[in-house]
Amino acid sequence: MTDTTLVAEHPLLERFPEGVTPDERKGYEGFIVAADRLVEFATALRDEFGYDYLSSVTGVDYLPDGKMEVVYHAYKSTGGGALVFKVQVPRENPVVPSLVSVYPGADFQEREAWDLLGIRFEGHPNLKRILMWEGFAGHPLRKDWKEAYFEEEKKPFGSRWPGGAVHRAEDENPFGKNVVYPPDFDPEKWTPVGDEALYAGLREFKKDDDLKTEQVVVNLGPQHPSTHGVFRMVVTLDGETVVRLEPVMGYLHRNHEKIGERNTYLMNIPFTDRLDYLSSMSNNWGYVQAVEKLLGDKIQVPERAEYLRVIMAEFTRIVNHIFAIGTLLNDLGAYFTPMLYALEERELILDIFEAVSGSRMMCNYFRFGGVARDLPPGVYEKMRDLVFERLPRKIDELDRYLTENEVVRARCEGVGVLTPEEAIAFSAAGPVLRASGVPYDVRRADPYGIYDRFEFDVAVRYHGDVYDRYLIRLDEIRQSIRILQQALDQLPEGDVIFGSPKYSMRVPAGEAYGRVEGPKGELGFYVVSDGSANPWRYHVRAPSFINLTALSRMCEGDKVADAIIILGSIDIVLGETDR
Amino acid sequence: MDTALLIEWLIKSVILLFFGLTGFAYLTLLERRALARIQVRIGPNRAGPWGLLQPLADGIKLIFKEELIPPLADKPLFILSPILTVLPALIIWAVIPWGRQIVIAGREINLYLTDINVGVLYLTAVASIAVYGITLAGWSSNNKYALLGGLRSSAQMVSYELALGLAFLGPIMLAGSMSLVDIVEAQKNLWFVVPQFLGFIIFLLAGLAEVNRAPFDMPEAEQELTAGYHTEYSGMKFALFFMAEYIKMIAISAIAATLFLGGYRLPFIDLPPILDPVVLFIKIFVLVFGMIWVRATLPRLRYDRLMALGWKVLLPLALVNVFITAVIMVFTG
Repeated sequence: MTDTTLVAEHPLLERFPEGVTPDERKGYEGFIVAADRLVEFATALRDEFGYDYLSSVTGVDYLPDGKMEVVYHAYKSTGGGALVFKVQVPRENPVVPSLVSVYPGADFQEREAWDLLGIRFEGHPNLKRILMWEGFAGHPLRKDWKEAYFEEEKKPFGSRWPGGAVHRAEDENPFGKNVVYPPDFDPEKWTPVGDEALYAGLREFKKDDDLKTEQVVVNLGPQHPSTHGVFRMVVTLDGETVVRLEPVMGYLHRNHEKIGERNTYLMNIPFTDRLDYLSSMSNNWGYVQAVEKLLGDKIQVPERAEYLRVIMAEFTRIVNHIFAIGTLLNDLGAYFTPMLYALEERELILDIFEAVSGSRMMCNYFRFGGVARDLPPGVYEKMRDLVFERLPRKIDELDRYLTENEVVRARCEGVGVLTPEEAIAFSAAGPVLRASGVPYDVRRADPYGIYDRFEFDVAVRYHGDVYDRYLIRLDEIRQSIRILQQALDQLPEGDVIFGSPKYSMRVPAGEAYGRVEGPKGELGFYVVSDGSANPWRYHVRAPSFINLTALSRMCEGDKVADAIIILGSIDIVLGETDR
Repeated sequence: MDTALLIEWLIKSVILLFFGLTGFAYLTLLERRALARIQVRIGPNRAGPWGLLQPLADGIKLIFKEELIPPLADKPLFILSPILTVLPALIIWAVIPWGRQIVIAGREINLYLTDINVGVLYLTAVASIAVYGITLAGWSSNNKYALLGGLRSSAQMVSYELALGLAFLGPIMLAGSMSLVDIVEAQKNLWFVVPQFLGFIIFLLAGLAEVNRAPFDMPEAEQELTAGYHTEYSGMKFALFFMAEYIKMIAISAIAATLFLGGYRLPFIDLPPILDPVVLFIKIFVLVFGMIWVRATLPRLRYDRLMALGWKVLLPLALVNVFITAVIMVFTG
């Protein structure tokens, strides 16, 4: 976070005497930039002040003020805190200049903000809906938008059995009458705008069609064995070579953020489990961290809980990376063997999660001010055995079997290269960024929790190809084991939660951006509180989603088989991508 | 041609077909069990003891499955192509000898269906037909994955058949005959794998590519092309493709055993002829198991590298192998 005392005399204010003002609302930070100065401001920020990494772009609907705000979080790729800047536009017809020309990584995020909040980004090369389809009426994250089965504005809802009679929202609003299309939209006659090529393949060919085409459009997905879920890549092929690739997503969209804004603060913790369902512990941490920032001094995490958080987050990283390596090998065509070897280790770690939280994947373990439960008896010994004995041995084994394999090397080396400059520009995060030679790890660059106490190296590789993205995951597993060994040795006794567990809590008004180094990259939660029991805005900066921005750049010119492994090497989870 | 001979052929054909089909069924079981053991799993073990009835259950399931034909498919070709794929896999067995002569009820019976003097030529000819089935399946499905699979398949088979054919030449030159029985008899004391080691390796690689097994299973590459040429096939028509692949696996192993590993013979030991099929069976089993093992171990090559390997490595090596064999034979007489 920026030091708020310094904002008033920040050199940026000197550089832009007009159009840039400090954000002086209570609990807020950063600068408010006039919409017409935004591109100039962002360019100066990137080129003169070194904030070259745009982490998050999102919008907030301030309905009572009649304002729509776009919030940007920029970082230096050399480390340090965020520089937050905002643009405020009127709620009716909000138009903001697009930053894609300055930060290409804003591409998908601006499309998302357009899709969900209806903020139009002028100058965006491809501004169309990304998570919803064209036949969706309205922009669901706007505060005045109501879902089909709308019950109440905020949870907890009132009784569904008022006076003993069951009351269901769907009775009042039976299915079929609640489907709303935008005006001038006819689903029967609808053809997607701008991507005819996408659907050309589904069309029936007629005799008089020109069939002398040399390029074929193939839809890889949404049902495809290697897209890791319902994800679609529209690939234009010239023979076997990818000419153009366009990712299409949103099949799993459930408007996580809208639901999150209806929920109370505590209700969102189990809900974050469902984002990246392979690494629920890290998701918990990101969210809990954002809310704890809002709570400020009102809450202190006990020492033992801090250690348990680190232990669980690092175990999660191992689980995720080992699974990513397994699926990457599957994408390479190794028939499930590496995958199942990896899964064996994963199961042992999940045993530990189950012991501490009661669930193997949807852990729901973190709480504001600590963690939910202490370790049950025997689990500490189990963890020690895993961390000191079994895992190092098994990781070496995996390394020995896979790394020098001729076929693996031939398939992976030099494929899907992302240069360091591109990686930063596209806001790539996590292993994708570090495999491109940028040693940026939130645990080091902007330490949270107690990561500053541990000795570990930020794994970095320099070729930026699929092979390096595979190797970096092995490196990171080894570093995680190192951290785990230290954390287990130092684990103190004591409480695991601050005060007594609370169901509901007052969160002071303000905004906070909590980010952790999740296994897939920087996982950020932007939470705005208006002082009530529910968050006003709850936004997830999903690494899987933003890492996909660079996918088409990486795939163009490679073979179709490469596109599959490049996607595998980014390691996406659709629960997080589509939210 | 007397009736007894006709009946003899008929019986032998039925036995061969029966062996091919049960071999296919139990090979699927073996593959699933072996893969499972390699992958720290258990594999199908519910139907019957050790899962022995699993192939039966699979067969029944596939027969009762709905057979879908895509509306835009080329229907005659769509139905023809699985047949075209499975037939060569079956008739290839006609020339593979599985034993010497035995005497039953005073009648001398040769343990092979026929011994044509151009047996090896027959093998290459019949093996090449199968590619039509796959290519046509890809074409007639009217599906892009299937088409890509079919195209890959034809390109792959054309490139690997050359190396395969040249690998055949070694044993032919050493035995001085194209009859498979003669080739086996010529290996009475020395398996051709010793003088033709390079040829054997080329044969194994090209053979794997020929039957579309991992790591050369490009035409059906699941991760890229969902299921390649048989994406649109269901029910028994799908089973036929499956059957063809597994029978071809057994056939290519039998051919490898015959040409390079002494066929039904063991070196130096003279077993009674009735045991010849057992010897051959063991050799086939070892080779087939090797194929399964490879599948469990190796990732898939990329298509363009596969072609490069075929044309730039295997083909020149096979030519060199033929040349060296010829030179040595000329000098040693």
